[in-house]
Amino acid sequence: MGKGQPSYTDEELLAGIRHGDDRALAHMYRQYLPTVIHLVTQNSGTEDEAKDIYQEGVMVFYEKVREGTLELSCQIKTYLYAVCRRLWLKRLAEKGRYGGRLDDFEPYLETGAEADLVDAEERDRQFALMSEALVRLGEPCRSLLEGFYLLDKSMQQLTAEHGYTNADNAKNQKYKCLVRLKKLFFTQYKEEPLS
Amino acid sequence: MMTEADYYAFFDDYLQDRLDAPVRQNLERRLAADPVLAERLADYQRLTGTLNAYGQRLRVSDKLRAIQAEIDAEQEEALETGRPGMPVMRISRTEQWLREFWHGHRATMGVAASVAVLAVFATLLGLQWWNAHNQPTTRAVQYLSSKVDKLAKAQQKDRRVMNKVINQIGSTPPVAVNPGKFSGTGFALTADGYVVTSYHVIDGADSVIIEGRDKQRLRVEPVFSDAAHDLTIMRVIDRNFHGFGRLPYTVKRRQAELGEKIYTLGYPREDQVYNDGSLSARSGFEGDTGFYQISIPVNPGNSGGPVLDDRGNLIGVISSRQMDVLSTAFATKSSYLARLVDSLSAAPHPHTYNLPKQNQLVGQTRPQQIRKLQDFVFVVKVFDRD
Repeated sequence: MGKGQPSYTDEELLAGIRHGDDRALAHMYRQYLPTVIHLVTQNSGTEDEAKDIYQEGVMVFYEKVREGTLELSCQIKTYLYAVCRRLWLKRLAEKGRYGGRLDDFEPYLETGAEADLVDAEERDRQFALMSEALVRLGEPCRSLLEGFYLLDKSMQQLTAEHGYTNADNAKNQKYKCLVRLKKLFFTQYKEEPLS
Repeated sequence: MMTEADYYAFFDDYLQDRLDAPVRQNLERRLAADPVLAERLADYQRLTGTLNAYGQRLRVSDKLRAIQAEIDAEQEEALETGRPGMPVMRISRTEQWLREFWHGHRATMGVAASVAVLAVFATLLGLQWWNAHNQPTTRAVQYLSSKVDKLAKAQQKDRRVMNKVINQIGSTPPVAVNPGKFSGTGFALTADGYVVTSYHVIDGADSVIIEGRDKQRLRVEPVFSDAAHDLTIMRVIDRNFHGFGRLPYTVKRRQAELGEKIYTLGYPREDQVYNDGSLSARSGFEGDTGFYQISIPVNPGNSGGPVLDDRGNLIGVISSRQMDVLSTAFATKSSYLARLVDSLSAAPHPHTYNLPKQNQLVGQTRPQQIRKLQDFVFVVKVFDRD
C-alpha cells in the first residue's frame, strides 16, 4: 500500500467493485495479498504459487460481487482467506503433497466460501467449454465473436477489421455465428453431465 | 420465414430495448404463448451471458495480473534502489535458488529430518536391547558389579547403612514383637565401667541398659562412637556401680594371623551362646581393611560381641554378616578399637581408659577361658526414642 492512497472500508470496496471501479479492486488486491502469500509460503508453496492462488481467489470474490450474489457474513479479508485456503488445499492435493493439515494464520470461519467455490468451479467448466466451442467454430466467426464479446471491440471496429461493407452486414454475420456457436456449445454442454 | 439468426437479431434488439412498443408487446405475448420461442430466447441469453462473463473473466484476469506486476515492480524497485541509508540487498542466483528450494520443500525436509532422528534413536535403543538379550553373562556380571558398587558407596558413606544392607546381626528389626527394644552384645573394656559394642546396636537409642549373666541391670551412656568402624564406647552411669573387677583379657594391638582359632560369646537369645571358628581373611566386605572376615556362625544379637583368639586376646568386635555367602561374618579389628582408645586418651578429655594389661586366659583350656570371660560379656538392651 503506497502512501497517500485512500483507505476504504469493506462497504466502500464492495460498492466500488460492484460498479466496476478498478481502483477499488486494485486497493483491495494490495491490501490482502500479504496474508495469502504468508499462508501459502508457510504451507510449502512458493510466492508465485501464492500469487496465482490469490488471483484465483480474488476472481471468485469479484465475480460474485459483480453478479450481485455475494452474501458476505464476515470481513472481506476473512472471506478471501477462506477461499484461498480452500484453493491451496486443493492445489496441494493435486500435487500430492497435502499433509492433511494447514498451518493457519487467520481465524478460519464458516464463510460460505465453500459453496461459492462450487459455483466458481461450475463457471470455470462453462468457460472451458466456451473456449473449446470458439476454437471449433473456426474463422472468421471466432475472431468476430471473440472481438465483440471477449475483447470488447465495437461493431464499427469489427466491420473495418473483417472487411464488411457496413455494420449491419457484420451484425448479421455475428448472429449467424452465434447460432452456430450455440449448437457447438450446447451439444458439448449436454454431453458433459452436470455434476 | 425467419431464420434462427434473424431471431437472434430480434432478441438482441428486444433485450437492448430497441424495439417499438407495439412490436415488443407482440413479442412478449408470443413468448408467453410459445414455449419453443421462449426456450430459444433463454438459450440466446445463456449463450451471450456466458460469452460476456467469459469476456469479463479474461479482462479482470488481465487487470489482476497487471496489478500484481505493478506490485512486483514496486518491490523490485525498493529492493534494488533501496531506501537511503538502507543496505542494498543482493541475492546471488544460487542463494535465490536455495531459498526457493527451502521454501518449496521445507515440510518434506522437516519430515525427513524427523525420520532420520527417529531412526538413529531406534537403532541405538535396538542395539542396546539386542546386546542386553544376547549377552546374558555380561549383563549378569555388570548387574552384580553395579549392585556391589552401590553397597561399596553405602559403605563409604556410612557403615551403618552397609550393615543394614548386609544384615544387621546386632539388632532385631524395628518391626519386632517388642517394638522399640533392640538388643546386641557388649563387653567390658576397662575395669572401671567402660563397655564396647557395635555402633549400629545403639544408633538412635534413647536409653541403653546392659545386663550381665547375674541379671544385674546397669544403665550406660555412649561416650564415643565411630560409625565408619561400627564401634561405640559406653560408660556405666549407675551410682551404685563399683567396677567390673579385673578383666581377664587384653586388647590385641596388632593384626591377628590368618587361620587363627577364634571364638565369641554373645546373646543371640536370652542366654549366653558360645561359637567358634577361624579367621578367614584380614579384610572385610569388599576389601574393607577395618574388618576381619571370620567363619563363626553368628546371628542377630551377636553384634558387638568380643572375638578372642586362643590365647585370650581380644582381636575384634562382631559387626555384620554377608547374606548371600554362607557363614561369613565380619568383625571390626581390635587394632582400631585400641587406636580409638589411644586417641581418646590423648585428647583433652576428663576420662582415662585403663585398658587391661595382664592376660589371665593364656594357656588355659577353652572352657576355663569362657568361665572367666562370661561375667564380662553383657546383653545390650536399647530403648528407642519412639
